[in-house]
Amino acid sequence: MRRSADNILVLFFLMTTFIGLAQFNPTNVCQIVNGRLTFTFDTRWTPAQRKEIGRLYDLDSALLAEAFAVKPVIIEKNNIWTVRRLDNYRIELSQTKNKSKGAEAGDRKIILLDDQWISLSAATDRESVPYGVNRLTRNSVVKISRDKVRFFLPGHQDSKNVFLSGSFNGWSTIQTPMQPSDSGWVVTIPLKPGKYTYKFIIDGTWANDSYNKLTEDDTQGGFNSVFFCYNYRFVLNGYTYAKKVVVTGSFNDWNEKELQMIRINGKWVLHLYLREGTHAYKFIVDNEWITDPANKITRPDGKGHENSFIGLGDTLLFSLKGYPDAKKVVLSGNFNAWNSGELFMGKTSGGWQLPYVLAPGNYEYKYIVDGEWITDPGNPYTVGNGEIANSFLSVMPNHTFVLEQHSDAKNVILSGSFNGWNETGYRMIEREGNWIFSLYLKPGKYTYKYIVDSKWIIDPTNELWEENEYGTGNSVLWVNP
Amino acid sequence: MIIRPGFLFSYHLIFIAFAVAFPLVNQAGNGSVKAVPVMMDRVSFAGKPIADPQGNFIGVTIPLKRAGHLFLLEGTVDNVIGNFILDTGSSGLVLNRTYFRNYMIIDDEEGGGVTGSTGVIARINVKRMMVAELVYTDVSADVTPLGHLENRRGVKILGLFGMSLLQNLEIVIDSRNNELNLFKLDRNGNRLGTPSTEVKFDITHKIEQFNNIMFVKVSIGGRILDFCLDTGAESNVLSIDVPRQALGTVTITRRSNLLGVDEGGGEVLFGTMNDFTLGTRKFGSMETILCSLTALSDKYGFPIDGMLGYDFFSQGKIYINLIKKVMGICLKPDERQ
Repeated sequence: MRRSADNILVLFFLMTTFIGLAQFNPTNVCQIVNGRLTFTFDTRWTPAQRKEIGRLYDLDSALLAEAFAVKPVIIEKNNIWTVRRLDNYRIELSQTKNKSKGAEAGDRKIILLDDQWISLSAATDRESVPYGVNRLTRNSVVKISRDKVRFFLPGHQDSKNVFLSGSFNGWSTIQTPMQPSDSGWVVTIPLKPGKYTYKFIIDGTWANDSYNKLTEDDTQGGFNSVFFCYNYRFVLNGYTYAKKVVVTGSFNDWNEKELQMIRINGKWVLHLYLREGTHAYKFIVDNEWITDPANKITRPDGKGHENSFIGLGDTLLFSLKGYPDAKKVVLSGNFNAWNSGELFMGKTSGGWQLPYVLAPGNYEYKYIVDGEWITDPGNPYTVGNGEIANSFLSVMPNHTFVLEQHSDAKNVILSGSFNGWNETGYRMIEREGNWIFSLYLKPGKYTYKYIVDSKWIIDPTNELWEENEYGTGNSVLWVNP
Repeated sequence: MIIRPGFLFSYHLIFIAFAVAFPLVNQAGNGSVKAVPVMMDRVSFAGKPIADPQGNFIGVTIPLKRAGHLFLLEGTVDNVIGNFILDTGSSGLVLNRTYFRNYMIIDDEEGGGVTGSTGVIARINVKRMMVAELVYTDVSADVTPLGHLENRRGVKILGLFGMSLLQNLEIVIDSRNNELNLFKLDRNGNRLGTPSTEVKFDITHKIEQFNNIMFVKVSIGGRILDFCLDTGAESNVLSIDVPRQALGTVTITRRSNLLGVDEGGGEVLFGTMNDFTLGTRKFGSMETILCSLTALSDKYGFPIDGMLGYDFFSQGKIYINLIKKVMGICLKPDERQ
């Protein structure tokens, strides 16, 4: 009997919950009735459901609270609302007066939805994945030299024109024409290692590379072909008796099956794209895990074994002259989340130094000498002022801002969309009468200005500028892929 | 101090090369949640007619790209390369002042807007403009700041590609395959050179044209309303001032405030048109925003009840023949009912 009562209670609870849920349809609470914006609320809604309604319809919590309390008239800054009870549970909130102008699709408006943009033209980050292996059934894309890749589209000899479009050219439909050959269309372009997405455009029509089985969603109902421009080759000499050799590592989460090597001329080989950085790896030879016999760099894996290690990319040597009496010098920067106990520098005859791998980008850092934070005395580039100043380092910079003249200025700052228009941001340095600052910038559009002794100016040597919301202008810079 | 072996910079930056280093590039956006609509400055609508495009073609296919819910086509203006927004809601060519600032101004007009993109619209002439096989020479264009459009969509926008650039052509907007097909027409509106392929339309409907802008009559809640066809609208728009019978069929799904420099901004409603009929075809539901179209109507010199934008053009393949003044639609299979 007790069990039956429990069951009834549970059933009752489920029913009430279900009723509560069934009555909450946030897209069905608002209509325009007789020209008035009208909401119908249910007093059984949970606080979370009321909050959701407030979020969807831009109704603040105070207004909602008063509405649920059935306050007959609610006056807001721009609105007057009336409230009435419809029945036991339902309440009607009706906008009787809206003093705001109301949105106007005005006389010269183009309508934009401010959503995140999804696009065929979206750039693919070529370092967005840690590794990649191609799946080509025919050599439609071939790396023909260290930095050149040839794309080939077989057939289509009757076509008038064929273009190659992809993440490498900003999905331009006109900038990479393919040339006709006796068996198809071909073009060779420079590519750095990484991941690229692409399509062909045959007489104006988008087409996929049917010989490339590696694809990804183009977010528009189709797909893009994916190509990895390789930069690394794993090699295991010998082991010719083995039936299967797999390379596995930190880059693929130690997957034991995925990256099978191929036996070529008495060795096992795998070409692939591998993102720069430090990678731990091992070979699995017929289920036996081994380190790379040709690689002397091994480190403990923390479980009593060793892993092989490779470092891809440039290693910077941070150094600090002097401080012979210091006991401890630490490198700290935004590249290691300003960790002050991680990157200990080694003492040398002339000072302190530490090798460290950094990907292309812009970084801020400081040295900590026996607990005291200092900027790098050997680096003239700084950001910020006074105590909050940091040394600045651009790895593989691809643009140098140059402000000519103004040699009598005392202080010139570079500020723009790349640093959130920080007014104490990038402090330019004077070189031979010009003010300069180099940055690594991803492809895309940037707007910027110089602050010369507190006065904002656009770049006098850049004819591209656009109007801004302050009635002045911002210089415009496009960085190509 | 950082040292780079091999390259001794004045501040002693040294890189020890282990392998190759590569720069990062942009991440692709991958969202789909719509937020606040923003209305950007557009055109002076009273552009002078632009000559038909030159170029040796009878029919041409131009690949379209997308930026958000805008259709882009790539081309050059006096050797400047970039994208145009395909904008059937503009009467002519509008260029981004960022790239065409130093041209001689023929005429100008005060502009302004709620989003703060104030500025003067000037008129200039460009010598040569090319989009695929379409070649235009000595083209009159309005010039206005469009940098804010670029900043919101992250692509280089040379300008807006309006209707007078497509006059005397049959226009086929194929959103599914991302292409724009254009066909030269004779004076009767038939395709030149090749016989028109018989296309079985799901919907055919009369188009009216005023100031180069296309209008269609639609029915919502039994009321006949005038909508303009506007590929420059990322969403359909329904006037908040349409009759109550029409508004009563719309479900409001969201409300938001438009941010602008004007005092108070404005209220924007998002909704679903549940009783939208074009010709004999009733559309199940189409998303729209609701706001005032009074100023736009004043500018067009024609009362407008709504705009058919991306949500409409993504329904299928849209054929527009302005000589025959007719529109045909082949709905996507999943849109057929």
